[in-house]
Amino acid sequence: VSNLLVPRSDVSEFRKRYRWMALVAFLAFAAIVVRLFQLQVVKGAEYAAQAHENVIRRVTIPTTRGIIRDAQGKILASSRPSFNVLVVPGRVMPSARPQKPGRRQEEADSWERIAATLRLNPDERARFSARIKDACVTDEDRSPCWHPIVVREDLARDIVAELKQHAQEMQGAEVVSQPVRYYPYKNLGVHMLGYTAEIDADTLARYRPKGWESMTAEERQKQNPLGYEPGDVIGATGVERAWESYLRGQRGWEKRVVDARGRYRTGPEADRLLDEGGAEAHARQEPLSGRDLRLTVDIELEQAIERAMRPYQAGSAVVVDVRTGRLLALYSKPDYDPNDLAGGAGHDRIRETFNKLYTDPLRPMLDKTVSGAFQPGSTFKPFSALAALEDKVVDPSEHERCDGFLSYGRRIFHCTHVHGKVNMHDAIAQSCNIYFFKIAPLVTMDRIARIATEFGLGQKTGIGVNPESPGRIPTRSWYALRYKGAFQIGFTLNTSIGQGATTVTPLQLALAYGAIANGGTVYSPQIVRAVETSDGNVVQDFPPRVRQKARVNPQNLAYVNDALYGVVNEQKGTAFPVREASLEIAGKTGTAQTGYVNVNNDDPKRAWYLARDHAWFASYWPAKSPEIAVVVLVEHGGSGPTIAAPIAIQIIREYHRIETTRIAKSQPKGKDANKDAPTPKAAAAAVKADADGGAPATPPDLGPLPPDPLALPPDLGPDPPTPPEER
Amino acid sequence: MRSRRDAARFFGMPRDNFDWALFLTASALAVIGVVNLYSATSVSRAALSEIYIQQVYWLVLGGILGAVVAVIDYRHYERLGYILYGVGVVFLLLVFILGKDIRGSSRWIQIGSFGFQPSEFMKLFLIIALAKYLHDDPKTEDRSLKDLVGPAILAAIPTFLILKQPDLGTALILLLMFATVCLLTKIKWQSLVSLVVAFGIATPVLWTYVLKDYQKQRILVFLNPEANLLGSGWHAHHARVAIGAGGWTGEGFMRGTQNQFLFLPDQHSDFPFAVFAEDWGFLGCLVLVALYSFLVLWAIRIAATAKDRFGAVLAIGVGALIFWHAFFNLGMVTGILPVVGVTLPLFSAGGSSVLTIMLGIGLLMNVSMRRFYVSPARTTGLLTSI
Repeated sequence: VSNLLVPRSDVSEFRKRYRWMALVAFLAFAAIVVRLFQLQVVKGAEYAAQAHENVIRRVTIPTTRGIIRDAQGKILASSRPSFNVLVVPGRVMPSARPQKPGRRQEEADSWERIAATLRLNPDERARFSARIKDACVTDEDRSPCWHPIVVREDLARDIVAELKQHAQEMQGAEVVSQPVRYYPYKNLGVHMLGYTAEIDADTLARYRPKGWESMTAEERQKQNPLGYEPGDVIGATGVERAWESYLRGQRGWEKRVVDARGRYRTGPEADRLLDEGGAEAHARQEPLSGRDLRLTVDIELEQAIERAMRPYQAGSAVVVDVRTGRLLALYSKPDYDPNDLAGGAGHDRIRETFNKLYTDPLRPMLDKTVSGAFQPGSTFKPFSALAALEDKVVDPSEHERCDGFLSYGRRIFHCTHVHGKVNMHDAIAQSCNIYFFKIAPLVTMDRIARIATEFGLGQKTGIGVNPESPGRIPTRSWYALRYKGAFQIGFTLNTSIGQGATTVTPLQLALAYGAIANGGTVYSPQIVRAVETSDGNVVQDFPPRVRQKARVNPQNLAYVNDALYGVVNEQKGTAFPVREASLEIAGKTGTAQTGYVNVNNDDPKRAWYLARDHAWFASYWPAKSPEIAVVVLVEHGGSGPTIAAPIAIQIIREYHRIETTRIAKSQPKGKDANKDAPTPKAAAAAVKADADGGAPATPPDLGPLPPDPLALPPDLGPDPPTPPEER
Repeated sequence: MRSRRDAARFFGMPRDNFDWALFLTASALAVIGVVNLYSATSVSRAALSEIYIQQVYWLVLGGILGAVVAVIDYRHYERLGYILYGVGVVFLLLVFILGKDIRGSSRWIQIGSFGFQPSEFMKLFLIIALAKYLHDDPKTEDRSLKDLVGPAILAAIPTFLILKQPDLGTALILLLMFATVCLLTKIKWQSLVSLVVAFGIATPVLWTYVLKDYQKQRILVFLNPEANLLGSGWHAHHARVAIGAGGWTGEGFMRGTQNQFLFLPDQHSDFPFAVFAEDWGFLGCLVLVALYSFLVLWAIRIAATAKDRFGAVLAIGVGALIFWHAFFNLGMVTGILPVVGVTLPLFSAGGSSVLTIMLGIGLLMNVSMRRFYVSPARTTGLLTSI
């Protein structure tokens, strides 16, 4: 106690400082108040607006891509949900997060359970575990620890059900559904139909050039009218690409309350905020779903072609309605499954498929009906004959002698065999080269080129789907340019039988034969028949368009038609051995030499294959009042009459059978709407047609896949946009 | 005959001189702080949403300890001054051995299920040590720099140890408290001027020749957080938006959108004021800032009326602690100061921080309650002079 009473220290030293300190403290707090005044009162409204913007955001509403149907209303491309599983690293593996003092372990790890449910193999499991641990090095609010990662794409439904059922034990796993393009017929018609894919960086950069962020809404609309965003789906090839602007639809948007982690908030608090925002916050733009397309193609016919082409590795076939130019089938082989590329099966599958497709020497990605140009061989002879007839340089009834070969200068030109004395009719029907070699110098190359051009060969047809090859119809001047003036008569000889520099696409040839059949009208090929809304109303109907009228004398055309009839139906015709008596087909076989020389030391098997001729058959049916033109090309298939012609005949037979069945089915409906079942007579007719066809019958209304809920039963489908063609 | 009150004054009986103003101000801040924490963490993950309850526990514990500290005559602390300081330093050293590494720095010592931060308590120990030094120093006039070497060493040791953790914010607070206490003494003007000049020369030399590039980089980021938009600049930006959105009267309790929708980072530790400002607006902030100003000014008043130098330095030290914490935190949240991790007294969640402030207020109360004690020396002096 005593030391408590001794004199304490003197405080006078500090006296003068207190006032200063009080002043400094006061001023410091005053500064804070001034700053608060500036933030809250002066700029308060501005910050309030920003805060509002942070919380209430314009959220896009997805749209659905249009459905593509075939001529009968069968769905060729639609969208289906794909279930993907995302996991939030910090939630599935809380143990991986940094441990803080005072925080007890919240939840047990659910990752092992999730991995087991997803049937991940040990390799994948290790990979994702490492990724999750990496993400959880920090667990601050914006660390990757809280960003979901995709673990599995396109899960089977039973696994989805399992996940949902045991959601309690699988904290942090989320199943999201994402629309994926779905092609129920898989490989069938993939080239004309195309596939969709995620938009790539280059394409996106075209729609969103530099300075996109600073553009006004109008400029953006101009640059990117369809509103592409990263990760969007875009048509990559075929109709999907060419008709993208119709199919795509337009996104909508609405205002939603969003928190800092991008999650939507609902409930009274969110509603209150939206209400405070007034009319502007409740604004909403409905999405416009994409337009549906009705194609001219008949998938059943496509199936028939696939069956007919099954024995061969590569080739193509085109079926076109000669009265309208509507394409009933476009088939190209080899093909691929667009579902693999559309993303439903996951990104790994896409990469794998692309690797396979681009290394395949048969070039499956190429649409050979449109993009592939081949030497037409003898199928070109009708045009050479027409050229000779048009300018009356040759009398068709005059005979030339075929000894099986012809020497011209130092070269010897061969024929298939010795035909003896042939006139023009026989030369076409029996496919005699020598006859055409002999008349070629009189006809000249430029006359042939003119006629070929009249029929649309050597030019793009304007189908508008897939990059089109124009083919080539050489003229004298073309050869002059190419060979520096050293024109040889041999060029003309080769051209007259569709060899040499002459190339056509199967589609061109089909349209040209269509024109031969219909009296000279070259139609624009048509693949999309109508644009429809999603509830089946026709928005736009596309009538047939005539591209050009071939200026040829009808008599000459009739002469050629007769000769083409002879190819199939005369004893000596090249296709006579494989003809089908019940079908009156007119056509022309072709066996085109490929001119392959093994200069690169190819594998002998490969060289053998590549050296084989292309087998062609170009035809129309019925010969007297033609409906369809069919062109079949079997690449390196060998001989046209034995390889290609039977295929074309089988296609025509199938077409006939399908049509007959349809008519039989539709007739009783017209009489009695209550009767859905075909009358015995119609059923008998259908059976008879099947028996006639002899081909394995497929149930006409059942696709190869389980019924899609979106698919309309053909009987109840929307009315066709235009009255059906005459039956 | 002396009245009872006189007796109380003379013998330093505390209960009759209870400082109601200090008590009520601190209580008001504590209550508002807890309520605000409730709002701040109401939407957070489960682990965070109980923080306000923990805060209440800490406040109760702090209140009890503060009361104990206030009841014991502060002159006993004077005797223990250097011992307490030594204990604090030992704990700081222990951090390096036992410390838990969190986000690249170790500040915590884990005892049982909870950890504590020795650096927080070191602030109080430093105040007591400085007060003892100045109390014992016979010199009272015209101090030169030489006379401040002792206190400087006292401050430098913990500052260095805390910088090593590294914990820039706490080290800064220690230095500022030391500077405040120094300014309390009568330093010669010449000394001050020479100090400033020396600092002015040393900085560019250090910058050019001593610091390595990555160190410079760190300092630059520290000085200009806006450049680091994805890091602390993002925090500062959202804090400012939230405060500004409060306007005059705020959006209402628990209705601040930026907090409710998680745009505010560290809303319970470094940025609770932003939540408060968004909920209560400018008027609410005015009340809060007024409370802090009052607390600091009251501490200065307690210092001014303290009966000895130990008490005065103690009061100024605690006042400086509260002032620098509040000023730096408010300045950082409102965007006039760089983002440094400094807590807002009684607002930020955290056991060590709450306990430190409560103990500090206990010390203030202690000095305040004993301010009427008249030195026997002076009394006897008066008596003898008569």
